[in-house]
Amino acid sequence: MPYHQFKCSECIPERLHHAVDKGETEDLTDALPLGYLNTIPGTISERGCAYCGAKHVIGTPMKDVIHLSHGPVGCTYDTWQTKRYISDDGNFQLKYTFASDMKEANVVFGAEKMLKKNIVEAFKAFPEIHNMALYQTCASALIGDDINAIAEEVMEEMPDKKVFVCNAPGFAGPSQSGGHHKINIAWLNQMVGTGEPVIYSKYVINYVGEYNIQGDQEIMKDYFHRMGIQINATFTGNGRFDDLRCLHKAQLNVLECARSSEYICDELRTRYGIPRMDIDGFGFEATADSLMKVAHFFGIEDKAQEIIDAEYARWKPELDWYAARLKGVKMCLWPGGSKLWHWAHMLKSEMGINVVSVYTKFGHQGDMEKGVSRCEPGTLAIDDPNELESVEAMYELKPDLIMTGKRPGEVAKKIRVPYLNVHGYHNGPYKGFEGWVRLARDIYNCVYSPAHQLVNLDISKDEIPTDKGFVTRESLSDANLSDEIKNSTELREYTGAYDPIPALRKKAESNVYTFPDPETGEWRVVPVETLRNSKIVDVE
Amino acid sequence: MSCELKAKDRTGVINPIFTCQPAGAQFVSIGVKDCIALVHGGQGCVMFVRLTMSQHFKESFELASSSVHEDAAVFGALNRVEQGVDVLLMRYPDLKIIPIITTCSTEVIGDDVDGVVIKLEEGLLKTKYADREVHLIPIHTPSFVGSMISGYDIAVKDFVEHFAKKADKTNGKINLLTGWVNPADVTELKSLIGEMKVDATVLFEIETFDSPIMPDGNHVSHGETTIEDLESTANAIGTIALNRYEGAKAAQFLENEFDVPAIIGPTPIGIRNTDTFLANVKKMTGKAIPESLVRKRGIALDAIADVSHMFLAGKKVAIYGNPDLVIGLAEYCIDLEMEPVLLLLGDDNAKYGNDPRIKALKEGVGFNMEVVTNADFWELENRIKNEGLELDLILGHSKGRYVAIDNNIPMVRLGYPVYDRAGGFRHPVVGYAGAIWLAEEMANAIFTDMEYKHNKEWVLNVW
Repeated sequence: MPYHQFKCSECIPERLHHAVDKGETEDLTDALPLGYLNTIPGTISERGCAYCGAKHVIGTPMKDVIHLSHGPVGCTYDTWQTKRYISDDGNFQLKYTFASDMKEANVVFGAEKMLKKNIVEAFKAFPEIHNMALYQTCASALIGDDINAIAEEVMEEMPDKKVFVCNAPGFAGPSQSGGHHKINIAWLNQMVGTGEPVIYSKYVINYVGEYNIQGDQEIMKDYFHRMGIQINATFTGNGRFDDLRCLHKAQLNVLECARSSEYICDELRTRYGIPRMDIDGFGFEATADSLMKVAHFFGIEDKAQEIIDAEYARWKPELDWYAARLKGVKMCLWPGGSKLWHWAHMLKSEMGINVVSVYTKFGHQGDMEKGVSRCEPGTLAIDDPNELESVEAMYELKPDLIMTGKRPGEVAKKIRVPYLNVHGYHNGPYKGFEGWVRLARDIYNCVYSPAHQLVNLDISKDEIPTDKGFVTRESLSDANLSDEIKNSTELREYTGAYDPIPALRKKAESNVYTFPDPETGEWRVVPVETLRNSKIVDVE
Repeated sequence: MSCELKAKDRTGVINPIFTCQPAGAQFVSIGVKDCIALVHGGQGCVMFVRLTMSQHFKESFELASSSVHEDAAVFGALNRVEQGVDVLLMRYPDLKIIPIITTCSTEVIGDDVDGVVIKLEEGLLKTKYADREVHLIPIHTPSFVGSMISGYDIAVKDFVEHFAKKADKTNGKINLLTGWVNPADVTELKSLIGEMKVDATVLFEIETFDSPIMPDGNHVSHGETTIEDLESTANAIGTIALNRYEGAKAAQFLENEFDVPAIIGPTPIGIRNTDTFLANVKKMTGKAIPESLVRKRGIALDAIADVSHMFLAGKKVAIYGNPDLVIGLAEYCIDLEMEPVLLLLGDDNAKYGNDPRIKALKEGVGFNMEVVTNADFWELENRIKNEGLELDLILGHSKGRYVAIDNNIPMVRLGYPVYDRAGGFRHPVVGYAGAIWLAEEMANAIFTDMEYKHNKEWVLNVW
């Protein structure tokens, strides 16, 4: 077995089976690290807790919801303004967070009464919001508060309000992933099937496992709408609470982040017979294939091809400008769970980047299976990485950049490796065709930063070059490029806006999308009001 | 014209100003050299605290978790503390101090952390690490008691209590307990007492939180307070704890236990409080205040004269955050002729009612002022949106940024955490340097606002 022995982890033998070097000839099954096992205490692992997996990853991107955590204030504080899931109607979910603020007396005497008062107060402060997600935390779970009963009580007394309960305390699993699972199933059991949506297209999907980081969902929504496909609900980025109660009413579940949301898709298949289709919205080829896959399902391949042609024509020359300059760049792709397999092969095939290592904090073996299979031989794959192993890997692999989270990025900085944020993104969105160009642009700006070139110079020992007052990025990136590429009139740098999302929203407001009538099949414009705010009818 | 102290009258929190106790204890632990705390609880209690630190300082700090999972929550999790301590010691050869910081979950399940420390001291440390100096310090910070502020206070005291050791003679230094500050504050404090030729043990020595990228090696950010520093706190001439709520417990302990005289406060924000701080140092050490500080103070007064009565006078301010910071800022604002009409303290510490500074505000202010305890950001936002509160300026940390953004109120980022402005930790708020920065930063925020709103922006054509 090609297990990778970190020197720093020789003293904890159980870590050995969590890292592998992908060999030249080995079968995939030989090269799989263990995954999703209990964390070894004291390793300085990068994992979070099940509560944050439930609330912060999946719950909070829902936009018209009061997100209230039942527990001491810290859990709420921590999962507020630490992610970038935007919405198209004012970012209520980013701006407001709610805590029951459990105190010692509540721990001793119970906190149910206090919780009820809290819920009422929160609804009173925001009368226009009718939905609440109520999250259990470690403390409230351990004292045994029956928050489901409180939620029922409130809904009886306030019939125009809905309260969803998520029982995923922080300790419920080895990582965030435990919480993903719990909220998937909780939503399915409590909310799905309680609403009847307006169906305005012949083609209806749920878009699942998409969290609208910097606008990802809105990029993809534009493609689906251009194909005449109705997005019944998005789970959960930019998603409406009511739409998500209607998940049972789609013809197809289009699943993006299979790590966090496959559970609900699998259950929707079992209970409602809705098929699951896994897609990748990152990369030109992956996005094109994904749109085509969805199109095949409905028999609208021509619609997908139109988009693919238009988007390639618009953006491919820009991607290729960067690709020519990123060829051979060495990268550690160290995201949370799913981006290792969303991105590894696309970075290689479309930007020429050598992914020398992948890791996952909360992925399961299935994620490693997909991730490792999409890597080149020689790649180091690490499960549940810890600080010392990451540093050792960076020293050994000498990457040109790492793509990881904010804090590990600061670790890399100190050993002179620049980083890009793959959780909240640097300058996303990164999804779809334009998004992928934006990622290429961000990688380029990161790797060829003239200021970064200065970090290895020791002015006390080295010869100091005194002939230049500045160095351009281009002089660094273009040094070994052929004249053909350098002088190409076709290739160009990114020409999109700082933020492409406002233009997409404006477009959506101007009633441009046409959809085939579910009865007659006739294509007609569906007004924006229906697209955005169609009334969901309660059903038992 | 009155100042009213009252508690928020809602039960819950809408947008919290503070986080919980373990975060404060973790902040203290990173100020100590060769120290990695093991936080006994779920992983989020560490992961997010580290994230917030990295957002504020743009650095990563080392903190470990005992990673309490479901089985541990049911059957007890002390075995995970034992394993965590061992793993840390094996992998970090320079590590000497492991504070074990409890959280809500491990306090609710009743894990006997003190007991396991004794067990480890008599077992693992004696057998496997016999030739190493290792200190395990239990720190109890259940999240449902107090706030990050009391967590800080408790942890400082627990560190001092663990190490302080009486020697035959005094070390000739003062103990300077800074409270929850930034590296630039430590720099300024050291500069002030350095000018007076006073030697101090600074707790905690966090100037190095602002650490460099070097041409080689790995420069992990951590504090510089050593075991020797902590031990010798018992032998100081005296202790000055700048903040009542962040460090005073330790000062009191040293006075009670080792007869090290303590002076608590004032938080040296603004000219007047800095003067008092220097007077206290003088009183404690007998050292004179030199001409150089007269000059430094004069430069600050000069800067204030440029902006105070022309631009700052009459400006209504809301201030939120750590209590000593908020009160210190309010006092300084009043000296600058501003009106701090609303102070928001994010916890329900019963001692606020007896704070002499709050009493003085209640007796002395010439405008209507509210001090809200157990406050959240809704106390601020609701007053602005629904109760007609008009503000010219907000002072506080980044978590409250949308109150300023959505209501078009200029804001100066202060306190912890500041992540939506670059380099916040690089500016002092204490001392004369802090007084200059605060006055000018407030003026600049107001100037930018005048320009955006075309509100007499032409005044600045000739200023």
